[in-house]
Amino acid sequence: MRVAGSLDAAARARTRLGASSLRSIVARKGLPYALIAPATVVILGVLGWPLLDLLYLSTQHYGLRELFQHQGSFVGLQNFATILSDPQFRYVVEISLVFTAVNVALSMTLATIIALLMERVSSFVRVLLGAGLVFVWATPVIPAIDLWQWMFDYEFGVINWLLTRIGAGNYIHHNWFENPLQGFTVITVVVVWGAIPFLALTLHAGLTQVPKELVEAAQIDGARAWQVFTNVTVPTLKPLLLVLLSLSTIWDFQVFNQVWVMLNQRPNENYFVISVFSFQESFRVSQFGLGSAVAVVMVVLLMIISFFYVRQTVRNINEAGA
Amino acid sequence: MRRTALRVFYDGAGLLIFAVMIFPIYWMVTTALKPGKEILSLDPYWFPAPVTFQNFISAMQVPFFWNDVVNSLVVVLTVVGISIVVSFLAAVAVARFGFRGRTAFIVMVIGVQMVPLNALVIPIYLLLDSVNQVDSLLGVIAYYMAVVLPFMVWTLRGFVHNIPTDLEEAAMTDGASRVGAFMRIVFPLVAPGLVATAIFGFIQAWNEYIIAYVLLSSSSKQTLTIWLASFTTQHGTDWGGLMAGATLTSLPVVVFFLLVQGRVTGGLTAGAVKG
Amino acid sequence: MNPRKLFVVAFVAAIAVISAACGSSSTATNPANQTGTLTIWLMNGSAPKSVVDGVNADFNAKYPNVKVDVQIQQWSDVTTKLDTAFGGSAPPDVMELGNTLVAKYASAGALADISGQKSGFENSGSWLQSLTDSCTFQGKLYCVPYYAGSRAVIYRKDMFDAAGATVPTSMDDLLTAGQKLMAKYGSDSRFSALYFPGKYWYAAAPFVWDFGGDIATQSGTKWTGAINNSNSQQGLTVLKNLVSQLSRADKTGDELKQDQAFAQGHIAMIIANGWEVGVITSSTGGDPSLLPKLGAFPIPSHTAGQTAPVFLGGSDLGIAAKSQHQDLAREWIKLLGGTKFQSQMVTVGGVIPNTTSLVSLSSGLPAIFAAAAKNSRFTPNSPNWANVESANVLQDMLVAIFTGSSSIPDATKTASDKITQILNAGS
Repeated sequence: MRVAGSLDAAARARTRLGASSLRSIVARKGLPYALIAPATVVILGVLGWPLLDLLYLSTQHYGLRELFQHQGSFVGLQNFATILSDPQFRYVVEISLVFTAVNVALSMTLATIIALLMERVSSFVRVLLGAGLVFVWATPVIPAIDLWQWMFDYEFGVINWLLTRIGAGNYIHHNWFENPLQGFTVITVVVVWGAIPFLALTLHAGLTQVPKELVEAAQIDGARAWQVFTNVTVPTLKPLLLVLLSLSTIWDFQVFNQVWVMLNQRPNENYFVISVFSFQESFRVSQFGLGSAVAVVMVVLLMIISFFYVRQTVRNINEAGA
Repeated sequence: MRRTALRVFYDGAGLLIFAVMIFPIYWMVTTALKPGKEILSLDPYWFPAPVTFQNFISAMQVPFFWNDVVNSLVVVLTVVGISIVVSFLAAVAVARFGFRGRTAFIVMVIGVQMVPLNALVIPIYLLLDSVNQVDSLLGVIAYYMAVVLPFMVWTLRGFVHNIPTDLEEAAMTDGASRVGAFMRIVFPLVAPGLVATAIFGFIQAWNEYIIAYVLLSSSSKQTLTIWLASFTTQHGTDWGGLMAGATLTSLPVVVFFLLVQGRVTGGLTAGAVKG
Repeated sequence: MNPRKLFVVAFVAAIAVISAACGSSSTATNPANQTGTLTIWLMNGSAPKSVVDGVNADFNAKYPNVKVDVQIQQWSDVTTKLDTAFGGSAPPDVMELGNTLVAKYASAGALADISGQKSGFENSGSWLQSLTDSCTFQGKLYCVPYYAGSRAVIYRKDMFDAAGATVPTSMDDLLTAGQKLMAKYGSDSRFSALYFPGKYWYAAAPFVWDFGGDIATQSGTKWTGAINNSNSQQGLTVLKNLVSQLSRADKTGDELKQDQAFAQGHIAMIIANGWEVGVITSSTGGDPSLLPKLGAFPIPSHTAGQTAPVFLGGSDLGIAAKSQHQDLAREWIKLLGGTKFQSQMVTVGGVIPNTTSLVSLSSGLPAIFAAAAKNSRFTPNSPNWANVESANVLQDMLVAIFTGSSSIPDATKTASDKITQILNAGS
């Protein structure tokens, strides 16, 4: 119904515009380019060359000496061959994929629940919750991770103390990072905790755009809360949900600080997610060529993961837009 | 009756989530208020007793603190101020116009975000070095803008797209110009999105460490995250100072959020929905 | 290129040559005419401000027109910062480098070779041997020793008295003293007589070295892992016994919070750097009231009456190979590394100076750490050593040994093979 209405309006607009002068057509055609020009200039101007440089580095043997002299030696695709044949890299990719899936699912679900809840609570609780989320979001990442690390500390950790106190078992002198599964659980808690504020607040902002009259109409028609959610809320929020989903995928696949800082900047090999692996190769082993190649593989993997999403987005935009 | 019970349930759930989310923050702030030996204690102290502001006082007495505050503000306000305008323009173009190259632009905006920034440290440094912008706030500002823009464009596109075109058309049939219609109708509706993305940009730029650290070497040009790193020395970490510093660092973001949210979301959206 | 551009280029080049010629002639003749900015990177917390100010004042007295810009850098991610800075066109002229990092940067050509000027530095004949070793790569000198730190045992005098334990003079004594302490206080489940976190490699090394073991040995350019030889294994066996009887620290943890743990009062001994006394007794996070109760003694050798060799940590001062002010940089380093300011580093900063001739200035607890430094060793001086550290080879080995997840022969064999492989890898 709505779609048809808006198409009618668009058609009307088009006929009206069709009568306008040549000059306005040129202006109209030029306008979108003028609008994207500043963003394009900044993004490509600043990141264009470094991105090409990254590609170039990935084909070079590039150690410290080469870095200082700005002169690597071309090795073709050898860096990629080295990585792909490294059994450790297989583990790195697998663990990164699993970690990403779990973190995206958890943070999206929890954030949606919180956003919906914020619509329903009394205004006092809403303000409180909103302020709390902002405070979490505003806390600088690195001290926040230090804080979590310390809360899970072997000796001083308040979590161990609390778990023991409430009778969940003996957690005095429990090391959370000895077993990678437990370690990744802690890291997941930290990542999800840090991700929720942005996701929940954005979704909440998106919910304010859900037309009230539609919700009310559905309710008058006797729709249950769940039906309202799936038939009215989700379709309206779908573009936003897709954006957040893919952003979360990108961010969680790139998780670095939560592992690196949590494990005192020297994680053992069990904790090598892909960005840690790339950083390790570059700045710890000083093989910048290999590190860059890992980063390139990382981008390729992300492109594969999000291919359908990107294709769908592009199609949606091309169908819906103007 | 059922409504009230439901409301109580929702409020209860909201408070519970609040408590879980805020606990680390509580721990951070109380730690900042604790005196020395209580900070790392085998049996945790839930409340600071006695409360001491010494950690805050000594944190603010670190040399160049106020200098770093000013630098951070300059960097972040410039980045957010420019990016929000630039990204809004681009978002409107993508959401409202069909044009050749749009697909390429979208792919660029999405693709750039997939590149791990840590891998760009060296290329960025060498690029800025070649134009003499290492150890300059300008270099950092340019870099932060390039990093937050793709995200802002993309998120804002969703918000702009969500606004029914017929609202705009309706305004135009009322005789308003396209730009006028846009400012009166679309802009207010997109305000929550602008707030969310502005805050995102603010926080990204405010809390970034590695690029700022690598690029800015002079004490007079550093930002607050580098000041925060100064509490971690080879001689151990000053936890009280670090937590006081983190609290001080997060306050401006909260203030910024409350200011922006109060001004923009509150008034304007309500008006727009009625109009 | 058109003729006019060529002309401009030639003109600029000519000016550059002329001014360079003038500049260098004035260098030799009159320091008062020297101009420019000398950029110096020191690490956060390395030198007291008064010492740096003093060095700059003396430097400016001689070179009044040179601006000295001392920039304090943070420890977090410092190697990333150094990598990029050396890669850029204008790295700082002088930088402080941790002694385990020098080989990495020297081998890559980042640091200026100052072998020819060594004798121009005060006390260069009596520099601490292992700091000098850290500055030397393939027979050439790439930096000037700055200051050192070494580890000894910090202990609670009151606990020792109460348990009837005496300061040990051999490793057997150390175990006996520890057992007495455990007998007295061990019912407290948080008590450790000797608190030894499992990943604390720098505290384990003295045990390996004391029995004649080593991390790796070099013949020609080839390195061979030695951590699995019988002497090394003997040292690790003694250590494992000490840890299992005396320590309730995290067998998989590291030493970063040991001072705060010590300050909580449930620990009788830790192996620590001299400056950690300050952390234990600081008003932020420590317990100032412990100061009179603290004592220190060097890690004893298995041979009674001797001390075990300890790892000498510390910092060096290097000059960037790309620096435009090599002479000025050396002049500045001569001051900070010379007798006047090294004495202040000892008396004000409480560190071990770069020369044996000033060690006697230490008094009180720092003197014990300084004495321990006399018998000191350094890690394998290879540019790849940093990779061994970042791969956590020795830490993982210790954890495996202490937790019993593998036997000492197996754990050391694995570690040794990895060390051999990493140290011999081409750069």
